[in-house]
Amino acid sequence: MSLFFISLLIIASGGVLSPFFKHNFTTMKFIAVSTMIVGSIGGIIDSGSKLMSQSATINSCDYTASLTYLKSFTLSFQLDSLSAFFLVIIFAISLMASFYSFHYMDKPERSLGTAVNYLFFSLLVASMCLVVTASNMIAFMISWEMMSLSSFFLVIYNYKSKENRRAGYLYFIFSHVGAMFILSAFGVLYALTGDFDLSHSFASAVSPISNALANLSENQKVLIFILAFIGFGSKAGIFPFHVWLPHAHPAASSHISAVMSGVMIKTGIYGIIRIYSLLNFSSPVMGANQLIIGNSQFIGHIVIVAGVISGILGVVYALGQNDMKRLLAYSSMENIGIILIALGIGMIGVSSGNTAMVIIGFSGGFLHILNHSIFKSLLFMGAGVVLHKTGSRSIDALGGLIKNMRITGTTFLIGSLAISGLPPFNGFVSEFFIYMGGFKGVGMTAITVNDASVAGFAVNQFAMSRLTFGTTAFGIVSLAVIGGLALACFTKVVGVVFQGEPRTRAAEGVNEKGVAMLVPMVVFALLCLAIGVFPELPVLMSMNAISSLNISNIGTESGGASVIEITTKMIGMAGTISGAALLFISMILSVLLLRNFAYKNKPVTTSGTWGCGFTKPTVKMQYTGTSYAASIVEFFRPFAPIHEDHSPVKGRMAGRSHYQSHVNDIAELYMDRVTLKPVLFLFDKLHWIQHGDIHLYIGYILLAIVVAMFFV
Amino acid sequence: MLYSVDTVLSFALLASLFALGSSRLPGLIKIVGFQGIVVSMVPIFIEHNITSSAVTFYMFTMTIRGIIIPLAIYLLIKKIAIRREVQPIIGYHASLFAGLMLIVASSIINHKLALPATTNSVLLMPTAITILVTGMFILMARRNAIAMVLGYLMMENGIYLVGTTFSMGTHHIVEFGILLDVLAGVMIMAIMLENMKQKFDDVDTAFLSELKE
Repeated sequence: MSLFFISLLIIASGGVLSPFFKHNFTTMKFIAVSTMIVGSIGGIIDSGSKLMSQSATINSCDYTASLTYLKSFTLSFQLDSLSAFFLVIIFAISLMASFYSFHYMDKPERSLGTAVNYLFFSLLVASMCLVVTASNMIAFMISWEMMSLSSFFLVIYNYKSKENRRAGYLYFIFSHVGAMFILSAFGVLYALTGDFDLSHSFASAVSPISNALANLSENQKVLIFILAFIGFGSKAGIFPFHVWLPHAHPAASSHISAVMSGVMIKTGIYGIIRIYSLLNFSSPVMGANQLIIGNSQFIGHIVIVAGVISGILGVVYALGQNDMKRLLAYSSMENIGIILIALGIGMIGVSSGNTAMVIIGFSGGFLHILNHSIFKSLLFMGAGVVLHKTGSRSIDALGGLIKNMRITGTTFLIGSLAISGLPPFNGFVSEFFIYMGGFKGVGMTAITVNDASVAGFAVNQFAMSRLTFGTTAFGIVSLAVIGGLALACFTKVVGVVFQGEPRTRAAEGVNEKGVAMLVPMVVFALLCLAIGVFPELPVLMSMNAISSLNISNIGTESGGASVIEITTKMIGMAGTISGAALLFISMILSVLLLRNFAYKNKPVTTSGTWGCGFTKPTVKMQYTGTSYAASIVEFFRPFAPIHEDHSPVKGRMAGRSHYQSHVNDIAELYMDRVTLKPVLFLFDKLHWIQHGDIHLYIGYILLAIVVAMFFV
Repeated sequence: MLYSVDTVLSFALLASLFALGSSRLPGLIKIVGFQGIVVSMVPIFIEHNITSSAVTFYMFTMTIRGIIIPLAIYLLIKKIAIRREVQPIIGYHASLFAGLMLIVASSIINHKLALPATTNSVLLMPTAITILVTGMFILMARRNAIAMVLGYLMMENGIYLVGTTFSMGTHHIVEFGILLDVLAGVMIMAIMLENMKQKFDDVDTAFLSELKE
């Protein structure tokens, strides 16, 4: 038995044991957290060593385990570098989240609930690990469902609140509609190939691509990919399947939100990548310098457009939120959009034979997966501390928190800088690579191979390269827009929540007790900085991860550089980044030193924020988060309708009035209007069938059988 | 051409007609029990090579189907002292007529279905279908909950017969699984009946529509 499965067993056993210790709250937490930490460390050692022992060009799968049940169901698991990359993230985030939970879960009166929370937490972690290692469809679906269900139970942890139950049901419905799409993709795949195996994308040398898979036509491949894209997209939170995301994340406890947003939604991305590499879209390109323009050429473009829409709308909705955790959830959607743009760039590279785009696009995307899991977990944990200490998630009710919560405030600031893609933090590095990949696509010229046997080949080729130019340029511009809006969004959070003066009583006199909650945030903040300054290792990790995608061997025609060349170039680029970052940091430090030196002997007076010149300042004079974001949200009004509710002011002596506004999510709005209402209307009309008389029901069955017997 | 199994099957067929015409619960229980015994005897007449394990299995089936379940229901009606009338929705004569029509219809269907002719029997498939649908008919057309349970049992007899046509000899495991299902089903129904008796002081299923939202 390998270390990987032992780690999973340790994690699961801790979860299973914890309900038995519900009478001793601290012991129970200790057992659950320590097993999770031990298991995760084991898992990190195992998968990390697997990942790093990989060379960038040769791929190999490491170990396999299979279990046959009832002679017909084979569950098999296999670990390649792609799985290993995701495993490292899963284990690392879970480790920190469980550590954080030790002080976060501090309600001894809800001992059993906490124990059950730990049980499902450990199941969630274990099933996520199984999802990314599953190598056939049955094993994948079983682990996928385990993951969805355990996270569902985590979402309804505070089941007594009606809002949370609603969030849970919404999540349940979305995850199962998504699973239905995934199942149909698998079903089509199985019907066409007669094979449950997903492992053909692992290690081309070990198991060559089966004939059945190679014989799939272009359109069949596109159909399977689109089905899987929708299915996995509903887990990842791609517009318009993200509706559950902003409801489920605030409902779950903060360390769970960190895991769900940091890791779990990435399993959707994993699924998309896995299906993509399984379908082997690169195969038509490889044929003797001849490019066949088929429908699969458009997949990369579809993915980029989906990414752009999720990215921009995600950040716009995030700007319009007043609930910290909802804002972070929308920001997850935005980052999924960025990752999709990166993957789309890589996919365009695959279909047009541009190796540089493939490597830089995919590895940029992978790097962003890693980075996002770090800073999003950090931000959720920060929001969790704020919620824990003030009891409020509402941005406009807080303020001035950094004065009493120095560590939380500073780490949250670092996370915000990183998520906005500013140097010298890690978000900058991955977005930089994605830009690089995009520019490779913009600069790509039409391949000047003219094949007389294919009519209109050159024309097609020309049109295709124009399209590639258009899409990648669109992707780059949108990425810039997303970055700018993200900056606005996070200045809003940091500025309103942590700066200024406390707006309500809840935000006053807070403290920062609970060292277990602070350590993970500090670790993550340091990681953000470390990856931003020394990106070589993470870049290498993501390069190794893509080596098992079966795409690194695509053609080196069109004068493109070889894989090794690009790899070394990227590592070199990472070195340049780290040099620049060091320079940047040293500049900041020197300015700081200079300032200290200049003010050494001068008196510096401090007073309350916004206290400038007013005799009677009140906290209500401060900007609110809503007003700060209003001008930007207003601009996107067609996509983000603002719902306002206030009673008009009448007469000279106006009575009590109120004002309330929130930004509507058009996906939610239209899903309600276009799908839900008609369906409900239809079923309302059919209500008479449910008569309530049991004999009538049996009569229905009898009728159905008779009809079936005579007419079928 | 007449086979010995057809003679046995005709008893089962007659029993279902009797069931449609009987108005009292104890009689209905006896008829269903009798039919259970007959039905579980059928494989013995079809099977060519009878092993000792097969015989054990048939005996077991017969005991559960013909004795244990009917006895349990008989004791149940003794215990909760309910009305002995089956409370028909469709009258006895109409039911009998429907039963006759059913026999005709299932003979016609038998030709259409083209099932595997594993046995030398003319009546096996029509009987199976008739018993199945009769059971369902009783479920639908009687308001008394006990009569409905008996209808369910009769339906199950039919399913068992359909099963014998498909799985000769080997697949006892499947049939045994069905049998255990039925046993569990009857137990659940007994519990429900007691609850119903407590709640409504009757086992007339018309009261159940009060539970509708």
